[in-house]
Amino acid sequence: MTSSLTLAPAPSSEAAENVRAEVREFLAAERDAGTFTTHVDTWLSGVDPAFSRRLGERGWLGMTWPEEYGGHERTAMERYAVTEELLAAGAPVAAHWIADRQSGPNLLRYGTEEQRRAILPRIAAGECFFVIGMSEPDSGSDLASIRTKATRTDGGDWVVNGAKVWTSNAHHSHYAIVLVRTGPPGEGPRGRHQGLSQLLVDLSSPGIAINPIRILDGGHHFNEVVFDDVLVPGDMLLGEEGAGWHQVTAELAFERSGPERFLSTYPLLAEFARRVADAGDAAALACLGRLSARLLALRQLSLRIAAALDRGELPDVPAALVKDVGTTFEADVVAEIRGVVDVPASLDSPDPLGRALAEAQLHAPGYTLRGGTNEILKGIVARGLGLR
Amino acid sequence: MTTTASDRDLVVETVRDILGAHEPFVLDAGTAWDAPLWADLAAAGLTGVGVPEEAGGSGGETGDAVAITATLAAGAAAVPVAEHLLVAAPALLAAGLELPDPAEPLTVATGGVVHAEPVDDGDGPGRWTLTGTAAEVPWAGVARHVAVLAAAPAGIEGEVLALVDTSGLATTEARNLAGEPRGSLVLGGTPAAAALLPPAAAAQVRARLALARAVQISAAAEQVLAWTVTYAGERQQFGRPLGKFQAIQTHAAVMAGEVTATAALVDAAVQALDRGADPVAAAAAAKVRAGAAASTVAALAHQVHGAIGFTQEHRLHHLTRRLWSWRDEGGNERTWAEVLGVALLTGGPDDLWPALTRVV
Repeated sequence: MTSSLTLAPAPSSEAAENVRAEVREFLAAERDAGTFTTHVDTWLSGVDPAFSRRLGERGWLGMTWPEEYGGHERTAMERYAVTEELLAAGAPVAAHWIADRQSGPNLLRYGTEEQRRAILPRIAAGECFFVIGMSEPDSGSDLASIRTKATRTDGGDWVVNGAKVWTSNAHHSHYAIVLVRTGPPGEGPRGRHQGLSQLLVDLSSPGIAINPIRILDGGHHFNEVVFDDVLVPGDMLLGEEGAGWHQVTAELAFERSGPERFLSTYPLLAEFARRVADAGDAAALACLGRLSARLLALRQLSLRIAAALDRGELPDVPAALVKDVGTTFEADVVAEIRGVVDVPASLDSPDPLGRALAEAQLHAPGYTLRGGTNEILKGIVARGLGLR
Repeated sequence: MTTTASDRDLVVETVRDILGAHEPFVLDAGTAWDAPLWADLAAAGLTGVGVPEEAGGSGGETGDAVAITATLAAGAAAVPVAEHLLVAAPALLAAGLELPDPAEPLTVATGGVVHAEPVDDGDGPGRWTLTGTAAEVPWAGVARHVAVLAAAPAGIEGEVLALVDTSGLATTEARNLAGEPRGSLVLGGTPAAAALLPPAAAAQVRARLALARAVQISAAAEQVLAWTVTYAGERQQFGRPLGKFQAIQTHAAVMAGEVTATAALVDAAVQALDRGADPVAAAAAAKVRAGAAASTVAALAHQVHGAIGFTQEHRLHHLTRRLWSWRDEGGNERTWAEVLGVALLTGGPDDLWPALTRVV
C-alpha cells in the first residue's frame, strides 16, 4: 500500500493498562456519587467544568506534555487509555476536550515560551477551555476561503474583524485559536493557503459577541463568535505569521484521529449489549459482534495514529481516513441496532435503549460533518493514494 | 528465536523472488494447484517456518508464517500455505502430535461429520480410527496429510484432532469460487495418530483457520486496492484519468478505509495469537471485519475497473474470486459475529467495554 497509509503497530503498554484501571475506579466512584449519568456524544454536549477540574487534579489532562508546562510526561498510549475510558463511560468531558486534544498540543508545537507558560498549566489543571476558530458563515468545507481578517496596528497589535461558526461551547470557554487572513493570497491553485495566520484570542476581549446556534434538538453547543474590531496583543500570534495553513493541517491530525471519532455513540452500543445479554437472540448477538468488530478495527487504527503522533510524525492522511471510517460507524450503530430491536427512539422513553437511540439519532448528522466532512476526508485519502 | 523486522523483510523478499520466477498460475478443471511453486517454497525451507527446528521445521515466529502467507495470498498463489503454516502445523504441535515432513503439503478439515474411535485407551495422543466424511476440505486431493477435527466418542467431552495420511483415500471433486480444491474426504475406519482436545482447544483450531483466512483476505484486498489505484491512474476517459473523477476517488477512499482498518485488526489478532492469548475472540473479530472488507473491496474494484475487469483475461478475478470464497470459508461473518457477541458478554451485561479492551 502507499506509504502515506501504512503505520507501524502501536506498542503495548503496561503503564496504559495501569492508568486504565485507575480511570475505571475513578469513574465508578463518580457514578456512585451521582456526579454524572452516561450520555451519547458527551465530548460535544457534556460540559461540566468541575468534572474537568477533577480530571486535572488526577493528572489526566495535558498528560503527555512536559512537566514545566504543567504536563505529566506520560506516553501517548496512557493518554489514549484515559480518553477512551472517559468516552466509553459517556462522561462529561466537553469543557476541556478541545484544549486538551488540540489547542494545547498546538501551543506546545508553535507557541512562544510566554504563551506556553501562561496557558498550558491552566489547561492541564482543567481550568482553561478552548474553542476552534476555523469555519465561517461562508467558509465550511472550503476552509482556505475564510474572510476573518487581522490587521496590524502601528503598535504591532492585531485588530480582528469577522465571524467564526460552529464554535463548540464558546459560551463556556476562555480562548479561541482563530484562523485569520493576515496577508494577501499568493498565485496559483494553492495560493490561498498563503497569508493565513493563527491568533490566540481571549474570548472576554471587548468587541466579541458569542451568539448561540442551536442544533436541531434545541441543544446549545455551537455558537457564532463575532469579532468587531477586537484588539489582540501582538504577542498573541500563534506560530509564524503566514504559516496558518500549515499549522491548521498539523492541528487537524490531532483533531481527526482520536477515539472520539468512533466512540460518540458507544454508550448506545453498551445499552444495546445489556439488552442482548438479557433477552438477545442470535441475530442480536451477531449484530453486537459485527459492530464490535468494526469498533475493534477502528481502535487499532486510531492507536497506531496516536503512536505515530507521539513519534513526531504527521499522519494527516491516516487521520482523515480513521475519521471517515469511524464517523460512518458512529451513525451505523444506530441503523444496525434498529435493524434487530423494535424500540421507539424517544428522549422521554421509559426504556434506556430508547433514550440512547434518541440521543444518538438526534446528534447523528454531526458525526460525519464536524472536523471536516467525510467528502473532504475522502479527497484527502484519495490524494494520499496518489489519485489527486 | 526472535525475528527482527529486517529478517522478516528478507523472508518476504525470498517469497516474492520465488513467486516471481513462476508464471501467474491459472486454476482450471485440469489443474488443482501450483506444484512447482510448492516445491520451490519447500526447498527454501519456507514450508517449515513457524515450526521449531526440533519438530522438523525451520524455526521462526508466527509473524514470519503470517508474512509468508500474506505475500502468497497477494500473489494469488495456488498452494496450501495458509492451511499448512497457520492452522494444521501449529494445531498438531499444540496437541502433542508428530508433524509430517514440512515439504509435504498439509491441510486442515473442520467441516462435515467425522467420528473418532480410540484404538487404545484414548488417553493422550495415540492411535484412533476415523469414519465419516470431512467436507469442504481445503486442497483435498492435493495435500498429502490432513489434520481432521472429528467428533469424540459419545460421552467424552471435546473433539479429536487426527493426522490423516490421504494416500489411497477417496476425495470428491469440488472447487471454491476461485477454483481452489474444496472436495470431501471419505474416511472408513481410517487409522490415524490423534489426540483428544478439550472444547477450548478445538475452538482454537477453528479460530486459527478463520484468522488464516482473514490474513489472506487482508493481503489480497490490499493488492486489489493497489491494482485499482494503478488502473484509475492509467485509464483515460473524457480526456483525463479515471482517478481525477471525484466519484472514482470516493470509491478508492472507501476501499482504502476497508483495507487499512482490516489490516490493523488482523495484525493485532496475529500479535494476540503470538502472545499466546486465547485467539478465539480476536480471530472472530478479524474474520468478521475482513469478510466485510472482502465484499466491499471486490465490488468497488470491479466497478472502477469496468468491463475489462470482468473478463477472464484480466488479472483482477484471480483475487476477487478468492476474496469471495475466503470470506465464506472457516465460517462467514454471521457465524463469527455471533461467536464474538457471545464472547463479549461472558463477563455480564455491563462488561462490554472491558471485554472489548481485552480482545486485542
